[in-house]
Amino acid sequence: MTERDAILEVRRISKSYGSVQALTEVSFKAFAGEVIGLVGDNGAGKSTLIKALSGVHQPDSGEIFLDGVHHDWKSPQEAIDSGIETLYQDSGLAPDLTIGSNVFLGREIMKKGLLGKMGFLDQKAMEAEALEDLAKVGISVPISRRTVSQLSGGQRQAVAIGRAISWARKVILLDEPTNHLGARQAQEVLSVIEEAKKRGLCVIFISHTLPHVLQVTDRIVVMRLGQVVKDAPTSEFTAESLLASITGLAELQG
Amino acid sequence: MPENDRPVLTSSPETPRNRVREILSNQQFLLFVVLIALMTYFYSRNHYFFTVGEFQNIFTNFSGYALLAVGEMFVIVAGGIDLSVGSTVAVSGVLGAWVMNGMMNGHGNQFWVLTVGTLICGLVGAFVGFLNALMITKAKLVPFVATLVTLSAGLGFALLFAQFFNSGQPVGSDPAAAVFSSKAIWVFTYPAIFVILIVIVAGIVLHLTKYGRYTYAIGSNAFAARAVGINVQRHVGSVYILSGFLAGLTGMFYFMQLGSGAPTSGDGFELTAIAAVVIGGASLTGGRGRMSGTVLGVFVLTVVTFGLVFINVPPAWTQIVVGGFIALAATLQSLRPSGRKSV
Amino acid sequence: MISLKNPKGALRVASTMALAGVLGATSLVALGAQTAGASKTYTIAFNVGVTSDPFFLTMRAGATAEAKKLGVNLEWQGNVNFYSPSTQLPFLQSALASKPDALIFAPTDTKALQPITGQFVAAGIPVFNVDSGNANQKNVVSWITGNNIQGGQAAADALAKAMNYSASGTYNVVIGVSSVSTSTDADRLTGFKNEIKAKYPKIVLKNVFATNSVSATAISDINQALSANPGAAGTASGLSGIFAIDGTDAAGAVAALTAKGKLGKVALVGYDAYADSVKALGKGGFSALIAQQPYLEGQLAVKAAVSYLKNGKSASAAGIKHLNTLANKVLTATTSASVLKKYTYRTK
Repeated sequence: MTERDAILEVRRISKSYGSVQALTEVSFKAFAGEVIGLVGDNGAGKSTLIKALSGVHQPDSGEIFLDGVHHDWKSPQEAIDSGIETLYQDSGLAPDLTIGSNVFLGREIMKKGLLGKMGFLDQKAMEAEALEDLAKVGISVPISRRTVSQLSGGQRQAVAIGRAISWARKVILLDEPTNHLGARQAQEVLSVIEEAKKRGLCVIFISHTLPHVLQVTDRIVVMRLGQVVKDAPTSEFTAESLLASITGLAELQG
Repeated sequence: MPENDRPVLTSSPETPRNRVREILSNQQFLLFVVLIALMTYFYSRNHYFFTVGEFQNIFTNFSGYALLAVGEMFVIVAGGIDLSVGSTVAVSGVLGAWVMNGMMNGHGNQFWVLTVGTLICGLVGAFVGFLNALMITKAKLVPFVATLVTLSAGLGFALLFAQFFNSGQPVGSDPAAAVFSSKAIWVFTYPAIFVILIVIVAGIVLHLTKYGRYTYAIGSNAFAARAVGINVQRHVGSVYILSGFLAGLTGMFYFMQLGSGAPTSGDGFELTAIAAVVIGGASLTGGRGRMSGTVLGVFVLTVVTFGLVFINVPPAWTQIVVGGFIALAATLQSLRPSGRKSV
Repeated sequence: MISLKNPKGALRVASTMALAGVLGATSLVALGAQTAGASKTYTIAFNVGVTSDPFFLTMRAGATAEAKKLGVNLEWQGNVNFYSPSTQLPFLQSALASKPDALIFAPTDTKALQPITGQFVAAGIPVFNVDSGNANQKNVVSWITGNNIQGGQAAADALAKAMNYSASGTYNVVIGVSSVSTSTDADRLTGFKNEIKAKYPKIVLKNVFATNSVSATAISDINQALSANPGAAGTASGLSGIFAIDGTDAAGAVAALTAKGKLGKVALVGYDAYADSVKALGKGGFSALIAQQPYLEGQLAVKAAVSYLKNGKSASAAGIKHLNTLANKVLTATTSASVLKKYTYRTK
């Protein structure tokens, strides 16, 4: 661990849904320019953690610090305003809107002057800037006026990640970004993650595909049954030992 | 990083089959062709069809349907449905008529009376929309059920008010309003001009402003809209209030035609409005459709419905022909080259 | 002037039955109180489709006057707003439970209320029809009704007169009905058609509009008829007359004719003597109205029921005809004020 201040710090957060304890006193730190792998079996609490960090759900107890400042996000908007971008599993884009409209959804560029005050959009500027923003993070989009529904699954995922990275100022949460992708497309996504790291962002990468996790992350946080069971640099894991700590076999083996 | 390692987004190949589908699925073009064909047919059956008088009729009838369809369009694009608009026409018409009747007995400035009446009708409609919004966003009823509640209760209240104000008979008597509503500039009657302006503004709002953009985004993927920080509940609520407001104005529109507010006006109009939106190419699952399509849809419905009356075809046939158009529109939607794929 | 007597409207309003049920329950409580203590005097249940309709309000006045004269109890029942068998049935069921001496009712459907009629008869309660009637009249003692065929004929005559009919002209007319499947509308239509066939060969029936009681449809239908036949009245290219069978059509026709400046130029004959319509007689509104006699219908129905009960439940002994049809009265601008007053339907 370095002596730098953590960009994101989670302290002892818990969350339950009715009688189900989804998170129990989860704590970890994340640093700028670092890619963290968040792994665990289904139901380990990864998605609940992501939702707490992105403001979708509020934890029952515990604290979240961003750049040393305590935050208590009540909505996704508040988390976004603080500099956290999230890529949700599957459904982060509006399929009927164009690529440009999706990249700027919720942060539209308005026309200048009175028209803008009246709510008029500057669609041309958004389409052009969307192209630029996506290109900056390594995604080239020849036609941004197409709707997302006209893209392939991999193309959609690229747009979603590109959007998240181009907007993120501090932290980016990626929930299963390589799911449903072919091998080549998945590699493309991983290279976009490295691009984000180079830009000094903190990337939290959730995946079931362990080779991807081992390939791209600097550190791995393993969760099981709502708790963090291991938090170590990626170099300390092998494919076998990572699997063992996810399933709990590591402890049995002592 | 080498260029060829990056994901490259390219357009899907333009096969001849795709091109045929593209043309077929240009619903607006097809609707336009159908419209011209219908008009030509009606003209061939009765040459008085292409007269200023008949086009005044068509534009007047178009206007009533268009106001409702525009409101319904916003709701449908946002992924909802509003079944209450027909009842809202009735209840706002009856209440507006009661107020206007009271004013006429006092002083009688026609312009002033009609202006106040328009406001009252709009407010009553917006209130019904507000009730829908509450049920949908607070009580979490699905839109179909919530607006079914206001459809049913709204009709009941319209009858009760008519009962209370005028023992069940249409409320108010203002023949001057009927005369005013038939005054025209060329083929456009005064109310039609008013409605056409509203439709144009609504189209601009839907396609060029942030409000319209959010409406599409919510209908397309409500979760995504919420995730980027759009206040989905508030926006959805506002869409129902808008629809109610326009239905209230429609109540005023029909008051002006009849010169009184009848509890039975608006009966079944919600289905006409939904049919027009669907024929115009909007998707009932939300997120899709253009205002120009809805306007064409209303136009085709108006010309079919009233054209068949014009050439003395029994009314039952109108219903069948309209059903045929809906079926055609739905088929065209399924033929679209860019159908929504599952990820 | 809305007639709620149409099947489509009834279906739609059936969804508001919950509301109707509440209102119904309230009036039943009141009725229950009335029936107590009538041991010797006869109690007659009188059930109509829509109690708020001026037609039935007038009928009620006639029935009440006759009941008072004969010293019998009258239980007046019916839904306030909705003309449909499904809303009428609960009232009939509660009437059956209260065991009146006789039932007089105006069925809202020709067939749907036959089973409950049978239950009354089985319970020894004689049944009379007024205005509308059951399709199967076997177990109905007597049916007092306006003559709808005659009404249609009278309308044709009145319209011909208003159009200044002569064999040298051509007279295009249209008819507006609530629904072609309503029996009263159908009979009036038949009467009208028969009459023009027999007497007025130059009258051309261009179209029969069904409004389903929607005012907007009534207006646009008449507007379409006007622009499809834009020529002068009395010529082959013009519209000469309108027969508005139901109130919605009448209101729509007046509005459309007013707006197009054709009021008084196109002859308009309406059905039923609602107060507003009578007021519009001759002032360029209606050329004529076909008035029914609901007051007399109510009177005669109560009279027949009491006579039947007093004569040992024998129709022949009481001198009751099974079918008693009352002629309709044609009202015009020249009808005397006292006659107009007599035939105008009451609003209370």
